[in-house]
Amino acid sequence: MRLVIERGELLRALGHVTSVVERRTTIPILSNVMLKTAGASVEFKATDLEREVIEQANAEVTQPGAVTVPAHMLHDIVRKLPDGAQVELKREPDKDRLTLTSGTSRFALQALSAEDFPDLSPGEMTHSFEIGASELKRLIDKTRFAISTEETRYYLNGIYLHTAGHALRAVATDGHRLAQVEFEMPAGADGMPGIIVPRKTVNELHRLLEDTGASVQVGVSKAKVRFEIGTVTLTSKLIDGSFPDYDRVIPKNNDKELHVSNAAFKSAVDRVSTIASERGRAVKLALDADKLTLSVNNPEGGSATEEIDVGYKAAAMEIGFNARYLLDIAGQLESDDVVFKLADSGSPTVVRDSADATALYVLMPMRV
Amino acid sequence: MTIRQLSPETINRIAAGEVVERPASVVKELVENAIDAGARDIDVVTAGGGLSLIRVADDGHGMGPTDLALAVERHATSKLTDDDLFDIRTLGFRGEALPSIGSIALLTIQSRAHGTPEAHEITVARGAKSALKPTALNRGTCIEVRELFSATPARLKFMKSERAENQATTEVVRRLAMANPQVGFSLTTGERASLRLPQAPPGTDGHLARLGRIMGADFMADALHLSGEREGVRVTGFAGLPTLNRPDTAMQFLFVNGRPVRDKLLVGAVRAAYGDLIPKGRHPLLALFVDVDPPEVDVNVHPAKVEVRFRDAARVRSLIIGGLRGALDQAGHRASASGGAATLAAFAAVTGVQGASGSASSAQAWSHSNSQSWRPSRPVHAPTGFAEAMQAPLTGSFAGFDATSADTSPIAHAPAPDLLDRPLGAARAQVHATYIVAQTQNSVVIVDQHAAHERLVYERFKAMLATGSVTRQGLLIPEIVEVGEAEAEVLADHSMDLAELGLALEPFGTGAVAVREVPALLGDTDIQGLVHDLAADLLHEGASKRLRDRLEAVCSTMACHGSVRAGRRLTGPEMNALLREMEATPNSGQCNHGRPTWVELKLTDIERLFGRR
Ligand SMILES: Nc1ncnc2c1ncn2[C@@H]1O[C@H](COP(=O)(O)OP(=O)(O)OP(=O)(O)O)[C@@H](O)[C@H]1O
Ligand SMILES: [Mg+2]
Repeated sequence: MRLVIERGELLRALGHVTSVVERRTTIPILSNVMLKTAGASVEFKATDLEREVIEQANAEVTQPGAVTVPAHMLHDIVRKLPDGAQVELKREPDKDRLTLTSGTSRFALQALSAEDFPDLSPGEMTHSFEIGASELKRLIDKTRFAISTEETRYYLNGIYLHTAGHALRAVATDGHRLAQVEFEMPAGADGMPGIIVPRKTVNELHRLLEDTGASVQVGVSKAKVRFEIGTVTLTSKLIDGSFPDYDRVIPKNNDKELHVSNAAFKSAVDRVSTIASERGRAVKLALDADKLTLSVNNPEGGSATEEIDVGYKAAAMEIGFNARYLLDIAGQLESDDVVFKLADSGSPTVVRDSADATALYVLMPMRV
Repeated sequence: MTIRQLSPETINRIAAGEVVERPASVVKELVENAIDAGARDIDVVTAGGGLSLIRVADDGHGMGPTDLALAVERHATSKLTDDDLFDIRTLGFRGEALPSIGSIALLTIQSRAHGTPEAHEITVARGAKSALKPTALNRGTCIEVRELFSATPARLKFMKSERAENQATTEVVRRLAMANPQVGFSLTTGERASLRLPQAPPGTDGHLARLGRIMGADFMADALHLSGEREGVRVTGFAGLPTLNRPDTAMQFLFVNGRPVRDKLLVGAVRAAYGDLIPKGRHPLLALFVDVDPPEVDVNVHPAKVEVRFRDAARVRSLIIGGLRGALDQAGHRASASGGAATLAAFAAVTGVQGASGSASSAQAWSHSNSQSWRPSRPVHAPTGFAEAMQAPLTGSFAGFDATSADTSPIAHAPAPDLLDRPLGAARAQVHATYIVAQTQNSVVIVDQHAAHERLVYERFKAMLATGSVTRQGLLIPEIVEVGEAEAEVLADHSMDLAELGLALEPFGTGAVAVREVPALLGDTDIQGLVHDLAADLLHEGASKRLRDRLEAVCSTMACHGSVRAGRRLTGPEMNALLREMEATPNSGQCNHGRPTWVELKLTDIERLFGRR
């Protein structure tokens, strides 16, 4: 194999693929990135066995071939090369080295055979559809904070993507709170199986979406999902489990409505929760006619109260929430009219932007 | 059948049956007599497990001929003044031991009263007293017992092996030696020199040195001194750090007015005082000396005097608990010194540094410097400006942290000097995603992040419990946990207690429970695992344990589930926050399983490893 590639092109490709490579792995080849020529381009591929990222880059290929080399090391080297440099990659047949030459720099990297590189073999995708990158990004932004990190409930360790009526919907929950976002079902998604996309894949995808404004081609099967974003393809296994029947826990009849400006609410929660130094403390919301009093009482730390003007006409009540959960949700809301729909101090509460019916959050209260 | 008066021999033999159960009992009576006689050196020799020979020689005040003749008479004692059984200041008081022994063996007593020129000897052969005769003896008293139990063959049948008898004898002498550090002891059983205990210098150090000879060098390194007095009851002694523990109570000693006793009171008090500092099924090492006005205690409740009865047992108990708690709180987060010593020893073994003696002495230096510098372990809140100081150098340095090796996460910049002054220092790196390495002005501290965090979560739980403010996070979807019938039942039985700790659950069909709320402190936690562990805890603890103990067990299980696991990468600020919290938390020196949470290597010790000293 022998090729010459522009440094910027190489850096971009490596930047996209290397982040799936685990820094510590017991299987040596998984630390590597695979380079494989394909006509006038070269394909980069990295995997952690759960997911793989493939990127195409333009190169001047003089001798076709394939090889794998340590991904992070190659990435680090390329990062340190000067802007605009030409890089020559060359592997002598039967040599377990890849030489990288650029200007006066010369590196020889330990190579492993490309034949041994694992292939995720994406298989048949039963459904495929197109979706705007910004929509997909929004979907992730608004839900991923609620993904559970508790490994024993593995089926909650991802975002549940599925169809609901005429919508494509994403849901994440850790059992304490739930986030749900939906948008109009794209053509081709109808009838697709509900899939749970693992957290790491979600984060990879989010990262890849940052560089693009175009649309994303999504392929779905029972076991895998594939995202084609420009020249990058991310394929991932899915979490094999059934997502709980979340719809049951979204209250439909909460009749006490609280209207509040998100900015005011967010900064008030942020201030009072300074006292709630640890995760075991609640922010108490006391509701009265058009008045919301936020308070935190930490027997070891002190106490804090703050009053804000709100719209509230129902009977007075009190309810406590985990400060961090409130902040997480407030971070997703945008409008000046956020609606809380409450029932009582022990029941789930629904939060949403009044102007935006597509996103909704459910929060379980805390009790002392 | 006719009723007849028992002969004096028979009476003595019956008494002997109570006083002298086995050879060790004879040794006990004789050594006690020697101690009562003010001996400074006591030499004990036995042969044939004590059946063929027991000889106890002392350098006490001895007896003149008249006393000697009286000593072997029943109920003859020089010790009970005014016949007041409630004012006993000596180990002996009944005047029963020597005649009892004389009735079941060949007893020879040689004695020379202090300041007199001649010594006398008397023998009692299975109850038959001989005449006094002069003998040669430099000083004190020498008592020989041969052919023990030859007059009561039934007893002989019950004797255990020679080894077992030797062990019992050694145990007896040890206990008496612990209470009398200024007396030198030597014990030879058969061919073996079992004990050689030189006179210890007076004072606390001397006493600890004696205890160390008997309870082990670890105890000496890890013992806390305690001393307290209230209303005529005085408790002194030494208690081991909770990290030094063993599976039985064999190393827990109680002495009442210098008398070794076995009393359930001690077991209970120790458990109450150490409480959750020590893992289940493990026991600390300690030796406590209770001194009360003789009228406050009845020692005449057991023929061999191994039990006593306090007039006010509750006061003694509370004083013991108070003394132990005080000492333990003072020790704060001081971890086991043997941890550091063991670390050094391990290093020494690898590097081939001249090991044994060096590491032993460093262990002492370690514990010493430790005990002095570790006093203020109570939550001293960070002085103003500290938070800024903590963040300033670190947050910056973590940006470039990506590029470093995965195994070690170092903090590149020099740590803030005021962090170096803190007891646990400034975090410098995390290694193996499990240990935090921190630097102080003169040492390196290694912290086990999981163990430490577990303790902190646990202490937070307890604090919340104490203020009655455990918060519960509701679950959107109740978690159903299949546990088995017995487990589901015991969980349901304790659902009130569990709710108080933040876990709300209810029965769900047979053999399952539905969890509705979890302790908020635990965050997003493994509920299944937690509930299974709790059920197992509750089943095994049974109903016998006090509620508080049960709650603590539950807390500790919950804490374990809520802690940072080994293997989690921590950022610099996270590491420093953990260290600061450890400093502010009492008892953070060991995790709930009694393992140390951190060890410290003094620079001087490290220098020694490299042969720089
Ligand atoms: N080693 C000794 N040195 C000096 N006097 C001794 C010694 N052993 C015994 N005596 C004297 O002999 C007396 C009788 O001893 P003995 O052990 O039979 O009774 P006691 O010690 O008074 O009471 P107890 O039966 O409770 O042990 C003692 O009171 C003491 O005066
Ligand atoms: Mg006696």
